[in-house]
Amino acid sequence: MLSKQKDKSAASKDSSPEGVAKKQEDGAGTPKQQLLDIIGDMKVEVSYRKKLQQLKASESKKQAMAKLEGPDSEGSVPQGVTEDTQRGKPLNPELVKAASAVASSLPRNKKQTESELLAQLRRHEETTDEQKKGGIINIRNVISEMTIKRQSPAQRGTRTSRRISLQLDEYDKRLRRERSSALPMDSRRSLKVGKRLNIFTKASTEPEHALKTVSSPTIWDLEFAKEVAAVTAQPPRNGFEEMIQWTKEGILWEFPIDNEVGMEDDAEFHEHIFLEKHLEGFPKEGPIRHFMELVICGLSKNPYLSVKQKVEHIEWFQKYFEEKKELLQEI
Amino acid sequence: MAAAALCWALRAARQVLPSPCPRQVRSYYVDWRMVRDFKRRKMAYEHADERLRINAIRKNAILPKELQEVADKEIAALPRDSCPVRIRNRCVLTSRPRGVKRRWRLSRIVFRHFADHAQMSGVQRAMW
Repeated sequence: MLSKQKDKSAASKDSSPEGVAKKQEDGAGTPKQQLLDIIGDMKVEVSYRKKLQQLKASESKKQAMAKLEGPDSEGSVPQGVTEDTQRGKPLNPELVKAASAVASSLPRNKKQTESELLAQLRRHEETTDEQKKGGIINIRNVISEMTIKRQSPAQRGTRTSRRISLQLDEYDKRLRRERSSALPMDSRRSLKVGKRLNIFTKASTEPEHALKTVSSPTIWDLEFAKEVAAVTAQPPRNGFEEMIQWTKEGILWEFPIDNEVGMEDDAEFHEHIFLEKHLEGFPKEGPIRHFMELVICGLSKNPYLSVKQKVEHIEWFQKYFEEKKELLQEI
Repeated sequence: MAAAALCWALRAARQVLPSPCPRQVRSYYVDWRMVRDFKRRKMAYEHADERLRINAIRKNAILPKELQEVADKEIAALPRDSCPVRIRNRCVLTSRPRGVKRRWRLSRIVFRHFADHAQMSGVQRAMW
């Protein structure tokens, strides 16, 4: 592509003084064809040679100035313009004019081609600016703009197999290349795609949506269900199925181990410890109060009882002492 | 104590397990003494809280003694089988009252039998 451009530039330089008349005579047949070929083959260039680009830029500027002065040279202008578009430095108004001229010269949809050319110019400008600044070219941005040719995995498989069937010398290289090329693609594709397995998160038990029309299953239904389960239950084929069965029966714990299985105490710690509010039914002084405060102290240190059980405990004592009130008053 | 009673209840259940298991399923108690022991355990579980609370009133230096005497009478009025002292840790398989290892709830003879047939997990003949 670069050599082609250089030739073109040389040719255009040579032909610029002479070839105006010649090109007009030819009817811009061959240069137009060449132009069309170039436009068809136009690709985004990512070259890292600053000096070459600068040279081309200066050349393109000169050529643009030279060619635009020649009003009749349609053939030469598009040539220069293609070179400009291919090298494309600043989006000069000259280039814009050139692009519009090219678009008009082509038989196809003029506005579309013009817009495409301008887009290409802009891309070039971005890349060259970044190179000038010394920044890393974000290839992803460039690639994202382009449409990715997506091969089906079958095709990809056949491609790899074809490559593998080649000579043994290149076997390893190709495999490695395929693997290295395939892996990033796969990881990009399939890391965050797919259903969550909920292995390490507490699997939220979904509420049962299906409401039973019958309020409670009859005994016969239960018996039938038991029979069916007994008949269909196959003995475990391997250790994994045995472990699954044990987990269902409750012999084996569920992993990852949940320390709070079966413990559904929704109360906060302060409800366990600060139990003085339950002592309102008792007299504020005297041995009974003393006794109950000790009871509460003991309960607050008890991690095994639930809040409900502790409250029941205190209420039992309250009831007991109320029954014995007469006796207490005698004392 | 409560857990033991529950385990005994499960063991004596007459339900067929949902999945076919190769273990022996017993649907009876070994003897009447075992039945009585089971009843005692059940009753002890039911009255455990009451007994604990009444004993808390009794074993006390703060409350007046009259109250404690009343509590004494109350606890004596509870059914005799409700006290945990009457529970005997019998062998689960043979109902033997003596020579029962607490960890396995088996009498020494049964334990030896199973251990020799390699049916006790982690149990090995000692040799040193």
